[in-house]
Amino acid sequence: MDEWGIALPAIIGTVAVYYGSRVLYKRFPFPFLLPIVTGTAVIVLFLAAAGISYPAYMIGGKWIEHLLGPAVVALAIPLYKQREVLKMYAVPVMGGVTAGAAAGILSGYFPAKWAGIEENLIAAVLPKSVTTPVAMEVSASTGGAPALAAVFVMVAGIGGVVSAAAFFKWCGIRHELARGIALGSASHAIGTAKALENGEREGTASSVAMTLSAVLISVLIPSLAFILF
Amino acid sequence: MDGIRMIVHIGILYLFYYAGVWIQETLNTVIPGSIIGMLLLLLFFYAKLVKPALIEKGANLLLSHMPLLFLPVTAGVMAHFSLFAGKGLILAVIAYISTLIVMLTAGWTAQWLVRRRESDG
Repeated sequence: MDEWGIALPAIIGTVAVYYGSRVLYKRFPFPFLLPIVTGTAVIVLFLAAAGISYPAYMIGGKWIEHLLGPAVVALAIPLYKQREVLKMYAVPVMGGVTAGAAAGILSGYFPAKWAGIEENLIAAVLPKSVTTPVAMEVSASTGGAPALAAVFVMVAGIGGVVSAAAFFKWCGIRHELARGIALGSASHAIGTAKALENGEREGTASSVAMTLSAVLISVLIPSLAFILF
Repeated sequence: MDGIRMIVHIGILYLFYYAGVWIQETLNTVIPGSIIGMLLLLLFFYAKLVKPALIEKGANLLLSHMPLLFLPVTAGVMAHFSLFAGKGLILAVIAYISTLIVMLTAGWTAQWLVRRRESDG
């Protein structure tokens, strides 16, 4: 019962912050005001100001986080509804995801190597484009710290969704399937949540890309580890 | 009624989620239980064992508020603030630029293949 005394305010507070940041984003739809950005900032600042530790907040926060499991399962619905589209575009989806996964590993590994960064730190950066649990496992299997890997997953997720609109325009990625594949390959489930807001097709392409890239990267990185590290 | 229906729908999604987690633990794989659960549900749709309408209300609720579900996780960077000093900062910049490179490569490749396909047909 003492636990619920902490958990309930944390849950209600998080939902309230989320709704507030949604209202703000509807009024001012700038990428850096996306609910995931302002919501995270408000929670982090509030906890810091009130002197509440992250583990204490998570006594309530874990109940919200736990719903991510069934939410990922729920992605089967858009996938199934768009099955004809996916069948038709199987080659672009596979091609885009594979190219993206390879580019992500190379463009994470070499700059870090040239900057003289230790291998155990590099191992935590490489799986940044896949969903948190996969990234943590892949990082651990190649000698990187799981918690550090989770931080870079957030950098890829938030950095990706904040930049996506301007970046797609700038480099001429216009097709909705290509946008979805790019978001899912680069920014995993956070990118997929954004793609779903843009439309069912873009969201579907993104969920497929996210799934394929999780499978691909969890096979690729441990196999390449012998060469890289 | 709608509220009860949503809870039942989310309950069914949880069944698939836990089945996925169980498969992950049994096979001892890095592919997360949630993704295995999603593939399992997709398989049930294809086999016509489950109709999308059976879970649609709950699924739509979760999918339309997915950013909320991430907030506790993303707030977790707070626990690692010290990492963003020195080498951590360099790595965060590399991670960000590399993310854009992934978007560019995946997006361009996909778009090129989509257009090729559309001009064929």
